[in-house]
Amino acid sequence: MESFETFWAIHGSLVLTAGINSLLAISIWLTLACGMLAMANAAFMGIGAYASAILTTTYGLPYPVGLAAGVLVPAAVAFAMGKPTLRLSGVYLAMATLAFGEVVRITAINAEGLTGGALGLNGIPPYTQWWHVVLALVATLIGLHLLRRSKTGRAFEAIKEDEVAASQMGIDIAGHKLAAFVLGGALAGLAGSLSAHMTFFIGPNEFGFDRGVEILTMAILGGVEGLLGPVIGAVLLTLLPELLRGLNEYRLIVNGFILVLVVLFLPGGIWRPRAMKSLFGGRAAA
Amino acid sequence: MLEQQLVNGLSLGCVYALFALGFTLVFGVLGVVNLSHGAVFMVGAYAAERATAGLGWGIGGAILFALVFSGVIGVLIDVLVLRRLRARQAPHLIPMVATIGVAIVLNSAAQGIFGAENRRLPEEVISHTVYTFGNVQVTALELGIMLASALLMVALLMALRGTQIGRGLRAVAESPRAAYLVGIDVEKMFYLTSFIAAGLGGVAGVLIALYSNAVFPLMGQSMLHKGIAVIILGGMGDIRGAMLGGLFLGFAEVLAVAYIGSTSRDAVAFGLLFLVLLMRPTGLFGRGFERKV
Amino acid sequence: MNQTRLSVCIGASLLALSASSAHSADIAVGVAQALSGGAAQYGAAIRNGVQLAADEINAAGGINGDKIRLVVEDEQGKKEEAINVYKKLIFQDKVLMVLGPTLSNSAAAVNPIAQGSKMVNFGTSHTADGITAVGEYIFRNAMMEADVLPETIRVAVRKASIKKVAVLYGHDDVFTKSGYDNFKKALEDQKIPVVTTETFAKGDVDFKAQLTKIKSLNPDAIVLSALIAEGAPILVQARQLGINVPFIGGNGMNSTKVFELAKGASENLFIGSPWSSSNATPVNTKFIKAYTERFKVAPDQFAAQSYDAMYIAAQAFKEVKFTGNIATDRSALAAKLPSVKWEGATGPFEFRRFKDKGYDAQQTPIVSVTKGRAFVIEK
Repeated sequence: MESFETFWAIHGSLVLTAGINSLLAISIWLTLACGMLAMANAAFMGIGAYASAILTTTYGLPYPVGLAAGVLVPAAVAFAMGKPTLRLSGVYLAMATLAFGEVVRITAINAEGLTGGALGLNGIPPYTQWWHVVLALVATLIGLHLLRRSKTGRAFEAIKEDEVAASQMGIDIAGHKLAAFVLGGALAGLAGSLSAHMTFFIGPNEFGFDRGVEILTMAILGGVEGLLGPVIGAVLLTLLPELLRGLNEYRLIVNGFILVLVVLFLPGGIWRPRAMKSLFGGRAAA
Repeated sequence: MLEQQLVNGLSLGCVYALFALGFTLVFGVLGVVNLSHGAVFMVGAYAAERATAGLGWGIGGAILFALVFSGVIGVLIDVLVLRRLRARQAPHLIPMVATIGVAIVLNSAAQGIFGAENRRLPEEVISHTVYTFGNVQVTALELGIMLASALLMVALLMALRGTQIGRGLRAVAESPRAAYLVGIDVEKMFYLTSFIAAGLGGVAGVLIALYSNAVFPLMGQSMLHKGIAVIILGGMGDIRGAMLGGLFLGFAEVLAVAYIGSTSRDAVAFGLLFLVLLMRPTGLFGRGFERKV
Repeated sequence: MNQTRLSVCIGASLLALSASSAHSADIAVGVAQALSGGAAQYGAAIRNGVQLAADEINAAGGINGDKIRLVVEDEQGKKEEAINVYKKLIFQDKVLMVLGPTLSNSAAAVNPIAQGSKMVNFGTSHTADGITAVGEYIFRNAMMEADVLPETIRVAVRKASIKKVAVLYGHDDVFTKSGYDNFKKALEDQKIPVVTTETFAKGDVDFKAQLTKIKSLNPDAIVLSALIAEGAPILVQARQLGINVPFIGGNGMNSTKVFELAKGASENLFIGSPWSSSNATPVNTKFIKAYTERFKVAPDQFAAQSYDAMYIAAQAFKEVKFTGNIATDRSALAAKLPSVKWEGATGPFEFRRFKDKGYDAQQTPIVSVTKGRAFVIEK
């Protein structure tokens, strides 16, 4: 057992980070599944991280309270922000959510008294245990799997395929989009809270454009058709720098190449259950 | 102080406009938000830095070199990446994501080749005269930038309206399919646009490198964020809007710093962006750009 | 592969592994720095300083005959990666101590881990407050800005008859923001009125709005907390606007790059630092020469501090009776390190304990002013 303990001591954080990144990639999947590209998830991660960390560190509240805040506050912000912005389509929405990310960052920097400003929040108690992450991930996967099969899930699918037709069928487009956006925000916030209580410190510059691109790359690499896609993408992109330790100089460039090559040559990402099913000559996907 | 701040706003506005011109052109004709525009901007700056500091060229040659070099990179991006996505009729967000990847590759490559440290163009390549008009100080370079952006805008508008190629570009911008049916070589138009837009970006890179005395791999990124604000304010795809949006943002930022407080500067840019998107997404100065496919 | 071949393979690899660790008399020292990413220029300088010192020490006989073996890892300037790297160094490589990480942010993330594992973590570049509050295994030889900046202001005020100042700082970067906090306190303590406080952000190219406002209020000097990337353009644009008063800079401005980037506009800048390239002590002169020859670039403050740090640690190594049990050795080192006194490239050095926790640097800052594209030391 000594070897497992050593393994965990060395690599534990890496495994947990992969789990947290999976949550983040799934949060993007949610909005992509509904036909939107929402870059705001990194910002929601930040809001969740700050909300939970401020409660546990500055006010000494117990972890469950912090986690709850880390989920509810971003969800509330997503709701408030989503209502007006989701009317926008495609590119405009992407721009708006990008700008939102910057606004959150600027707020975190300026609200010094609460967030510590540019200096960030230090001394966050390391409450996150491995089972928190596992529980969160499993619960999310099961929950979303059930959602996909439900009427709501089919509505998401319909909106993604053809928004006009979906609205003809009586589906409440705005409502569903908002639901996907809020749920995605809540998930990202959860991931942020878990992450904050694992790394002792958070700063405002961690949740900006770079983080957004990172999460997006994971979702796209893994593929957004099936639920496991984002998880695979997240695990791969978290472990890759470790496996390629020697190529550290080229880490960023590899990320960029992955993004371009996947978009060009592997548009559905790595995990494409439908394509695989037909490949193995089975019945057509349900 | 007010007069100086107004001049500051004007020169900053022209800096933003310069960047936005190429950025908005790509959106107008190709229908793509090219998030690698910041990277080609940076490439132009480095090209000029190498030409002047490394090869000892004068500023005219360096700018030309930057224009061509960035332009070529722009065409390569189009040929290698964007064209395939066009052929696939990919939903328009996909090309945007691809350009993010391209930007990362270019930025990291620059960092790998040149290092992350700041450089500057050699002192001798331009005049550093400071002109004083009453209370106001203006450098020769700032005047040059104001002139350049105005000229470029006018040249672009005239070319789009007056020349055959220009009309072809406008036709493609309106509807690629219709342009194709009328016999316009649409792909060629796309390459041309990519070249011009990236070339403009490269030139902007040189001028801003001179203005700020800074050349570094991530210099395009913060410009890109401001550029997005400018084209939203001005209306995406609208050349005049890029100029007006740039000026508007420049003045807004400077006056916010002068009279509200410097921490409000970035908040102003993104706050405006938000407001415009929520109330008038086609931009303050845009004319309701509707692309028909 | 059948069973026999498999066991032969395993046996051979084990033999190879044990052969590579046959230098068990080596003292393994971890070096975790940002060798890629945004902080790479600082991380590389720090690594170089440590490397130079370690090689010199080994060439002079090592530590009572044992050689120092550096285990260098890239923490990419990201706190998650720093955590991974530290865990590897502590549990896999089983190093005696670690020099790093590069950024104060990353230090905030890894110091609790080092403290929890009872291993010395020695920071050479962390100037933020609160770093050493984590515990008694945390050391740093980077002088805190709280010690440097007041001295800089004092000297500048005396030399340039300064009555009131304006302050300009980068509000979104940890380094420049904490520099500002320290400047603010020092200005209050020395009762110097501030006519206005302006900010900028990383990546900004235009500072004329802020500078124009500052100029209209007529300060006798501008206190600038910035990194060179923004600091140099600020100097240039200030002179272009006709602002001729001196600048008082924080740690970020202490680099010969300011001459390269700001050219003539670099004149009249006061900076304070634990190290100056113009400080012509024998140790420093030797260091600068050796560093420049080996790395083909002049050393900066980061390299000087890390060079000294390796030497300081080495003094403590000499006092430790190595038992081969890494936990015992680590604790023994932590007990011997606080009492080290050393005169290095950065001058006389000793530790100063922070309450009952870790150990900060106790040194005297050197204040210089830029004259004719060089740093001239002001007493």
